[in-house]
Amino acid sequence: MGLFLSLLYSLVGAMSAFMALFYVLSRARILEAGPEGPRGPTLVLYWIFFAGITITGSYLGIQLPDGVIANTRAVGAMVSGFVGGPWLGLAVGATAGAHRLWLGGTTAVAGALATVMEGVVGGLVRWWLERTEGAGRLPGWRLGAGVTIATELVHMGFVVLFSPANPDPLRVAEVIGPPMIMANAMGVALFALVMRDRQRDREQVQADSSARALRTARRTLGLLARGYDAARLPEVARIIKEETGAGAVCLTDASQVLAFEGLGADHHRAPGPIVSHYTRRAIETGEVVFADGRTEHYNCPISRDCPLDSVLIAPLSLDGVVIGTVQVFEPRHHRFSSVNRSLGEGLASLLSAQLLAARYQEAKGLLTEQELKLVQAQVNPHFLFNALNTVAAVLRVDPERARGLLLHLAAFFRKNLKRPAALATLREELEHVGAYLEIEKARFADRLTVETEVDPTLLDLKLPAFTLQPLVENAFKHGLSRTLGPGTARIRVRRGPGEVLIEIEDDAGAYLEPANADGLGMRLVDKRIKNLVGPGWGLAVACVPGELTRVTVRVPLPEAPA
Amino acid sequence: MIRAVVVDDEALARDELVALLREVGGVEVVASCANAVEALPAVRKERPDVLFLDVQMPAISGFELLAMLDPDTLPRVVFVTAHDEFAVKAFEQNASDYLLKPVERARLARTLERLGHNGGGSPGALAARAITRIPCLGPRSIRLVDVAEVESVRSSEAGVYVVTPAGEHFTELTLRVLEERAGLFRCHKQHLVNVDRVAEILLGDEEGAAIRTRSGGTVPVSRRFLSALKERLGLSWAKP
Repeated sequence: MGLFLSLLYSLVGAMSAFMALFYVLSRARILEAGPEGPRGPTLVLYWIFFAGITITGSYLGIQLPDGVIANTRAVGAMVSGFVGGPWLGLAVGATAGAHRLWLGGTTAVAGALATVMEGVVGGLVRWWLERTEGAGRLPGWRLGAGVTIATELVHMGFVVLFSPANPDPLRVAEVIGPPMIMANAMGVALFALVMRDRQRDREQVQADSSARALRTARRTLGLLARGYDAARLPEVARIIKEETGAGAVCLTDASQVLAFEGLGADHHRAPGPIVSHYTRRAIETGEVVFADGRTEHYNCPISRDCPLDSVLIAPLSLDGVVIGTVQVFEPRHHRFSSVNRSLGEGLASLLSAQLLAARYQEAKGLLTEQELKLVQAQVNPHFLFNALNTVAAVLRVDPERARGLLLHLAAFFRKNLKRPAALATLREELEHVGAYLEIEKARFADRLTVETEVDPTLLDLKLPAFTLQPLVENAFKHGLSRTLGPGTARIRVRRGPGEVLIEIEDDAGAYLEPANADGLGMRLVDKRIKNLVGPGWGLAVACVPGELTRVTVRVPLPEAPA
Repeated sequence: MIRAVVVDDEALARDELVALLREVGGVEVVASCANAVEALPAVRKERPDVLFLDVQMPAISGFELLAMLDPDTLPRVVFVTAHDEFAVKAFEQNASDYLLKPVERARLARTLERLGHNGGGSPGALAARAITRIPCLGPRSIRLVDVAEVESVRSSEAGVYVVTPAGEHFTELTLRVLEERAGLFRCHKQHLVNVDRVAEILLGDEEGAAIRTRSGGTVPVSRRFLSALKERLGLSWAKP
């Protein structure tokens, strides 16, 4: 028992030395690998590092008679398999195993075999976890300890079987077995804990940077809503700098610097020409360009005293065309972490998406305006000439009234010339419709009654300009002017629960599903309201044939003024 | 003196045109109508020389009204409209002339002058335009009956009646117009039948035959139209 405990303490004590080393190195960027594990040069680095740890395991072991070494080699071999897969495990195991053979002793063959086996088993554990739980999963401490106990038991089997030179291999296994199994299992369990911990840290930082990219995007949303507008970019750059904590942020279009915020702003002027070949490369290739400040430096082409040393340049693209770049700089001795890099890339794609949305909105708005102009142009000649004819007729009998009609006509056309993109208050809309109705009442004096009923508290309600007029005109065209007898038109504006209802009603009930330009007019009104207040609002048509057609416009009730 | 009927659904537009015609002179406005339904009896009763006709009118447009007038008593037609998008169509309808609102006095004078020159001439054949709805006058209402609903049409001393499964309706249109423009078949001097609504033909004595319509009404068939009817029905049976 005494021997067991003293061996165990010695092994654990020896191991704690490289445990501490590993903990420190696990924080070093040099050993950082993505979820798919180390690749290329990093893989070689891993091999050297873990082979070193494993060989140290032999040296820090306790020398027993007949060249037997109670050791902690299993830890390095096993863990290298966990982090690098079966091939790395095999390489590390073989290296340390060869070294053990070179050290010699009666149990050298058994130890070398066991170390190779443990490296491969560690790798197989990773491979199995990847298959069952997804890339980048590391084994937990229980699994690590369990596997190590099993492989060390096999190791003891090897000692018994493959140590013919030893006088009493069974006794050796009895003595070194329990402490080695326990010490190595503890070691692997501790490594697993440290690696898990490190992984969680990284995930946390990544989650933070995603949240930061999203927060930045939310703050720039309004600023980029009207596209890549040079006037708004300094503010956008300021927000990005604030959210990323970078040394400086620069925004360019495809030919010049449009905004620069942060360190080096004294010589990086905006607006100014693009001078860096990194920027030009990003614009030409459409790919992220990264001068990390280690292998590649941002050598400022303007000033030699520029504090900026590393840069991440992410292209902003719209429909596959690079329209500019977002650049994040860090000063010397303040390099990017890979997390910061992913933040920059995420930010660029979010900003690109915003620009795309802005362009889409703009195109949609333009189209609607074009269509609206078209509809207005189609509507007017008939109304105009009939109105003029009416004025001519009234002039014979009542010049003063004719003058009034002409003024209404002028008011109507003046409002028609207004920019259709603008918003109008309900009051303005009713005035527009009122001028129209005055003319129509004169034309159809004997046949037309118009009733208007408007909640006066709603007169300041904002609507897209030209909402009411096309609907009232439709009521005439498809309703009243189709019936032979007299007709009534009603315009009602009232409150509903959380909404405002604007109803335009005629008593002809001759509404047909419109397929022509008039239908376009209604669709446009609907579309513009939905663009303004959201898809849940807009137009609804109810028709009782021969009795009534009612077009209802639903918009949200505005918040009560404070 | 040229006798004119003015048809426009706007009272002020009618007044304006009547006033202009008075100013130009040489025209007597014998009737002024607010729609096609009023215009039909007015034209029949007054037999004007010229019809000033608005194109866009409620229920029945100016073009439709033209198709409903009996070719025998058809006056010359001048379309009056606010916008020239109908101009080409108006001349396809063999209109004599075409005026734009607001109407210019000098332009109206030229129109009348032209009408006066060949005032005695015939209005010329109208391009055939199908009638799909028949305006019918009820005691208190005006009904537009779809031709497809009509079973038959009968003419009597009292006038022309359109017979549908739902009842009979008085119309101002003549049998001839309905026969030529609405695709109804002449089976008797005073009767038309909608061939699509014929259920059976009851062959009777030498006087002729009778048609039973789908809703059970009977329509007499006179001997001289019988063979044409058989042929028509035979043809329609031949191609289902």
